Amino acid sequence: MKNKNENKKKILNYREFGIFIAFFTLVIVLMIISPNAFAKPRNLINILKQASVNGILSCGMMFVIISGGIDLSAGSTIALSGVVAALCAQIQGLPVIVAVLAALAVGAAVGAVNGFGVAYAGLPPFIITLATMTGIRGLALIVSGGSPVYGLAKSFENLTNQFILGIPILAIYFIVIVLISGFVLTKTVFGRRVYAIGGNEATARVTGINVKRMKLTVYTLCGLTAGVAGLLVASRTVQGSPTAGDGYEMDAIAAVVIGGISMSGGSGKWYGTIIGALLLAVISNGLDILGVSSNYQKIIKGVIIAVAVYLDLRGKARQE
Amino acid sequence: MMKKALAMLVVMTMGFSALTACGSNKAADNSTTDTTESKAANDNAEKEEDVKESDSASGSDETIALFMTHMSNEFTITLSGAVEAEVEARGYKYSVYDAGQDVATQVDQIEQAITLGVKGIIIEPVSVDGVVPAVRAAKEEGVAVVIVNQKISDPSAADCYVGADAATTGEILMKKAAEDIGGKGNVAFLLGPMGSDGQVGRSEGFENVLKDYPDINVVFQDTAEWQTEPALTITENWLNSGKEIDAIVSQNDGMAVGAAKAVADAKLDDRVKVYGIDATSEGLQAVLDGKLAATVSQGTEDQGKLSADACADLLEGIEVKAETIVDNVTYTKDNAQEALDAIKK
Repeated sequence: MKNKNENKKKILNYREFGIFIAFFTLVIVLMIISPNAFAKPRNLINILKQASVNGILSCGMMFVIISGGIDLSAGSTIALSGVVAALCAQIQGLPVIVAVLAALAVGAAVGAVNGFGVAYAGLPPFIITLATMTGIRGLALIVSGGSPVYGLAKSFENLTNQFILGIPILAIYFIVIVLISGFVLTKTVFGRRVYAIGGNEATARVTGINVKRMKLTVYTLCGLTAGVAGLLVASRTVQGSPTAGDGYEMDAIAAVVIGGISMSGGSGKWYGTIIGALLLAVISNGLDILGVSSNYQKIIKGVIIAVAVYLDLRGKARQE
Repeated sequence: MMKKALAMLVVMTMGFSALTACGSNKAADNSTTDTTESKAANDNAEKEEDVKESDSASGSDETIALFMTHMSNEFTITLSGAVEAEVEARGYKYSVYDAGQDVATQVDQIEQAITLGVKGIIIEPVSVDGVVPAVRAAKEEGVAVVIVNQKISDPSAADCYVGADAATTGEILMKKAAEDIGGKGNVAFLLGPMGSDGQVGRSEGFENVLKDYPDINVVFQDTAEWQTEPALTITENWLNSGKEIDAIVSQNDGMAVGAAKAVADAKLDDRVKVYGIDATSEGLQAVLDGKLAATVSQGTEDQGKLSADACADLLEGIEVKAETIVDNVTYTKDNAQEALDAIKK
């Protein structure tokens, strides 16, 4: 029994080791190709900033995927929470905290609908989140009147415009949310239960875990991170666009999967997700700087996702 | 148990707010003071029902139906609003169908409208090839067919076409940008989704102008899929590349606004000029704020008005031109306010 556990540990390490190697190789190669642009500290900080929105979304997605689910609605939730936040930020004299709380509330509410659908109505996660993805996009279009909400308060723009010790505040939000997610996942009972229900739901139920309540919470958390991402996108672009966030859920899923977290749930490390999100940002940034068309970037991302899942499957096959 | 109850409450609140949103918009539909924006919201709200009928002042029995690719941005909303106003001014009933960017849906909707006895149709085609058979079928039934905004692959299948020319629009914008930077320097292009008609046409216009300016280099060009945040990210990366950029020429205002934000964040707003297309209210406001140097309209209002006129003319036996190209207007700080007021009224 002990032997088997050790074996499992080794495979996990091997998988995450692979992603670390891939990440640093890519960074070093780009530094050599582009020493005067990519390798500059200003650009490296820029990458951290650009990884932030997807990174924050990936944290929520990570919880859902480890619990054995998926959330396709995150991109639409970004749009709706961004639009609602922008509508608040349009009102003169309204404190910026109202816009912040409104975005978080919208995100959490969408997440709760997903969680309720999965846990209590028994709908497959793919289906209920597909439904909310479609419906929430429509709602964002209705609420915004179909065009971007602009003319927002300066205080709203300042949410993402500031620097602390030379580091963009966007990156600081990202780091804080990553550390909280890592802590919750590894050091709390809640985190262990997320792994437990993703690993084997029936067993988790037998051991007395309230699986339904856990799922509701996990999806609500994911919605909450989408609300945060929506708020930050709206502040960064100084507008609430009903078409924002289109396809962002796929980038978040990609970051999680590249980071070595199994799509079937129950396994994976939080720092893998972070490397996954950083890797995607490095690819876009490096190739943009080199003037490589985003068509090629898509191909490269696709290959990396396929390789990551292949390693995941091979790891599992060895386990058995 | 508490959380279960809470979740239920959330679901109900959301459902209720969605319902009230529809309700208030429907109410707005009956008032005469309603704006383009709220009409658009109403159209979106009624997407499920697919079709919206409204009574005309003169009480004519004949209906002119408008088939839109989608109803989710300012361009489509302004266009359909202008069609609706003109159709009703000419004394016809108006109905609008939203294809949700799906060509099969649009074909079904056209067939359905013909079955319902619609006499005149205006189509903003989802696909330049895909709608042609439906257009032919409509003609065989004796329905007047006007194509708006995007030319179909066989223009003779319809009665006439009203629209802007994407290549011309691109040319006007590129020429303005080239003159502003003194005929030489580095430019970067933000493109629409690769292969879309707007992107292909506008890029063609850019290239046409560049032939006359051998000293202008295109240092970067990439798609941001009409979206603001991706455009912001790409521009940040370009600005970090160490290459000098004198102008960023974007194929729509949404991407231009994102690029302008990146330029302002990098404190380069006095060095890098940003250009957009469409003259949306946001784009015009950005021009007034000095964030964009210029935006070029595709004559959206005119496209809507003239296509509705052409359709009504056909029904009344008046001859119409096979092709009407509306004029582009270039908006800079000097004339943007006027256009913005017109949109907001």
